[in-house]
Amino acid sequence: MVINVGPQHPSTHGVLRLILTLDGEQIVACEPVIGYLHRGLEKMMERRPYRHNIPFTDRLDYLAALSNNLGICQCIERLGGVEVPERAQYIRVLLMELQRIASHLVFLGTFGTDLGATTMFLYAFREREMVLDLLEECTGARLTYNWVRVGGVPDDLPEGFGQKVLDFAKLFRQRIEEYDMLLTRNRIFRSRTQGVGVLPKETALAYGCSGPVARASGIPYDIRKVAPYEVYDRVEFDVPVFEDGDVWARYLVRMEELRQSLRIIEQVLRDMPDGPVQTKLPKIFKPPAGIAYSRVESPRGELSFMMVSDGSPNPVRVHIRAPSFVNLSVLPRLLEGAKVADLVAILGSIDVVLGEIDR
Amino acid sequence: MRDTEYNPLVYFIDGLVTLFNGMVVTWRNLWRPKVTVRYPYQRRPVPPRYRGLFYLKWNEEKQRLNCVGCTLCAQACPTDVISMVKLGKGTHAGVSEFTMDLGRCMFCNLCVEACPFDAIYMGPNYELASERRDASLFRIADLAQGGEEAVRKNIETIERLLAEEEKAKPAHAVHAAGGESE
Amino acid sequence: MIEAITQFFKQYPLLWTFVKAVVLASFTLVIPLAVIYVERKIAGFIQSRLGPLHVGPQGAFQTAADALKLLLKEDIVPEGADKRFFYLAPYIAFISTVLCFMVLPFAPGWVALEMNVAVLFIIGVSLFNVVSILMAGWSSNNKYSLLGGLRAVAQLLSYEIPMVLSVLAVVFYTGSLSLTGIIEYQVKHGWNIWHPPIMIAALIYFICALAEINRTPFDLPEAESELVSGFNTEYSGMRFAFFFASEFANNFFITAFAAALFFGGWDGPVLPPIVWTFLKVFVMIFVFMWVRWTPPRLRIDQILRFAWQLLVPISLANLLFAIALGVR
Ligand code: SF4
Ligand code: SF4
Repeated sequence: MVINVGPQHPSTHGVLRLILTLDGEQIVACEPVIGYLHRGLEKMMERRPYRHNIPFTDRLDYLAALSNNLGICQCIERLGGVEVPERAQYIRVLLMELQRIASHLVFLGTFGTDLGATTMFLYAFREREMVLDLLEECTGARLTYNWVRVGGVPDDLPEGFGQKVLDFAKLFRQRIEEYDMLLTRNRIFRSRTQGVGVLPKETALAYGCSGPVARASGIPYDIRKVAPYEVYDRVEFDVPVFEDGDVWARYLVRMEELRQSLRIIEQVLRDMPDGPVQTKLPKIFKPPAGIAYSRVESPRGELSFMMVSDGSPNPVRVHIRAPSFVNLSVLPRLLEGAKVADLVAILGSIDVVLGEIDR
Repeated sequence: MRDTEYNPLVYFIDGLVTLFNGMVVTWRNLWRPKVTVRYPYQRRPVPPRYRGLFYLKWNEEKQRLNCVGCTLCAQACPTDVISMVKLGKGTHAGVSEFTMDLGRCMFCNLCVEACPFDAIYMGPNYELASERRDASLFRIADLAQGGEEAVRKNIETIERLLAEEEKAKPAHAVHAAGGESE
Repeated sequence: MIEAITQFFKQYPLLWTFVKAVVLASFTLVIPLAVIYVERKIAGFIQSRLGPLHVGPQGAFQTAADALKLLLKEDIVPEGADKRFFYLAPYIAFISTVLCFMVLPFAPGWVALEMNVAVLFIIGVSLFNVVSILMAGWSSNNKYSLLGGLRAVAQLLSYEIPMVLSVLAVVFYTGSLSLTGIIEYQVKHGWNIWHPPIMIAALIYFICALAEINRTPFDLPEAESELVSGFNTEYSGMRFAFFFASEFANNFFITAFAAALFFGGWDGPVLPPIVWTFLKVFVMIFVFMWVRWTPPRLRIDQILRFAWQLLVPISLANLLFAIALGVR
């Protein structure tokens, strides 16, 4: 039996289509079909001056817009040799980690609903709403923030922002405990996730997986550690790594990252120096000819931008390495022999965002 | 917390206990204050930095809009949202028409940052949805602080100032105009 | 006045039964409105939301409005569906629920059909539900519905067995097959739930009841995130409303049945018996909902494994236990 999952299906998290060949409830083969959201972003970027492209990256991984903003800004900064003031770097790290929490909360909520724990969805989104409120206060937007600029961030943090973040961190620590009680320790949840969709280390390496997916398979690969950017080398945090590579491990990695993000946030707020937040740049920004490559650890994995400049105001070529795209490519391997009910667990645990895959 | 071997009875009891744990959490939340904002009846406060509908700042002192029609914002916009008609030139220049097609605006804030005259800002209004297609087109009267009235006064003030300038040094103005057309 | 009417009907027993059946059928249609409203509110409160608010005071008429909407909607029959079965399935589901209500005593004397084998009748009739689900899943000509229907049958049949065994434990313990008899026994000897073998039976009954009415963690047949909506994916309008109504009426019935079996039915001090019945039912419905909104759902193989490896042996052993204690 062949069934079509998506493009309109409650669990494909966007417009992903999976052609499943079934034998009863067993999945024999899976073929993902992507491209329903293709907008030609890379080409669009080649037609516009460098700084005009920053808002477009909001639309890549719309659950972690700030990470994308940072990725492209870093790339342009490398291309043009722009220095970023220290305070701006701290603010960037702070926002990135808030963003990571927001993004992982979406994962947690949708993963819960996929497995039938609808209540988890609303709890996770309730807390995400708090993060969004914080980000809204700082950036003025709730989803497409566009709050990183070449050479810094557009504006300083608003008055009293640090205290609000700390209050949130305090509350959120308790809430994570609650999630653990509600979901992580739940017998049914553990039965549904443990030993399901095992991704061996070799396969993960061969496919180039990154982010929580790779770390759950025993690959201690986190850009924040292996190639620190901004001030990540000045803060202390652990990178959770699990050996089992199943859905459960991927879930645990993200839960642990929530805690680590809180840790980073607290340190950043403590250490943040005063100073300017943006470097002045000429009105028409023309970086010298060359190639730049930058990578950041987005909540989904290694997000990279490559830009080629020929000295004109527009880039000649832009390429985006979207972590979801790479991670999704292992899906057929993971689904072989799984049950239909496991499909949603496995797909949910990879945590793909279609905006990024289809670009 | 990874499991050991499958044992139905252990699993069953564990299941009951953890289910009960979960029910404690849901019970607690049953009594927490609810987070729903009943939207059309209640509204959340909007933070000062909120990026909603644009407005053109009205300058009470000078009795005109701050905008001088320099088109820097239009140049900064990635999606060509902004178009304007410049009114006059020189120190007293302004705009007589300023149109934004918000149907393609990303609310990215780049235009606001580009403006050197503090003329354009983003306000707290986020209810821009409409059933009409042309409702995404915002003309100067929709954007200016003070609406129709402000636009009229703005044009009046600028035209008066321009006329005064013209009167003061007519020869120079003609010269300047000639120079520009070259 | 009422006496006179009853007297009149008593002369024509068939007509009297018919009237009672009509009253119960409308009751079966109305009770889901209340249950669904309560469910929505509780789900909302558990999830930090407010639930329905706008139709009527505190949104009390929301479900009625929804039902009206469903009745007015176009009735879509998918092309290639097996029309006869497709039309029939919701009514079978509904009728099986109404039939269950027929033998349920709400208070002393308040029973549509006094039957001395009521328990057996209920067990038999409630199995029709399975048939209707399979019919719906099969005739919809939709792969998701088919998967949902197959899952439902596997699950309902597996859970029917421990459920019946635990009900039988009560029957043997109290020595009566009539629900009225069981309740009267409890009025005399105290509620069944306080007796050890019945305690275990009650626990098993509750677990099976969750499975029977397709509640999380056993809501596989309609697993929204996997099978879109399971066996009733293709249903719309009134037919869907019937499925929905029978599901929630079933929810009500299964708790009322539990109240009769384990919690002494109408037995209770001060308040009139009918109030006690409803009170017990609604407390249990609340617990069901509370459970429903807490855990994730199991996988089909885990569900079946759980039923056959654990519930069936335990309930069998428990049945022997009950028989041993119950023989006097
Ligand atoms: S907010 Fe962005 S897209 Fe909208 S008009 Fe300004 S620059 Fe253009
Ligand atoms: S709004 Fe500002 S940037 Fe735009 S034309 Fe007016 S003065 Fe220039």
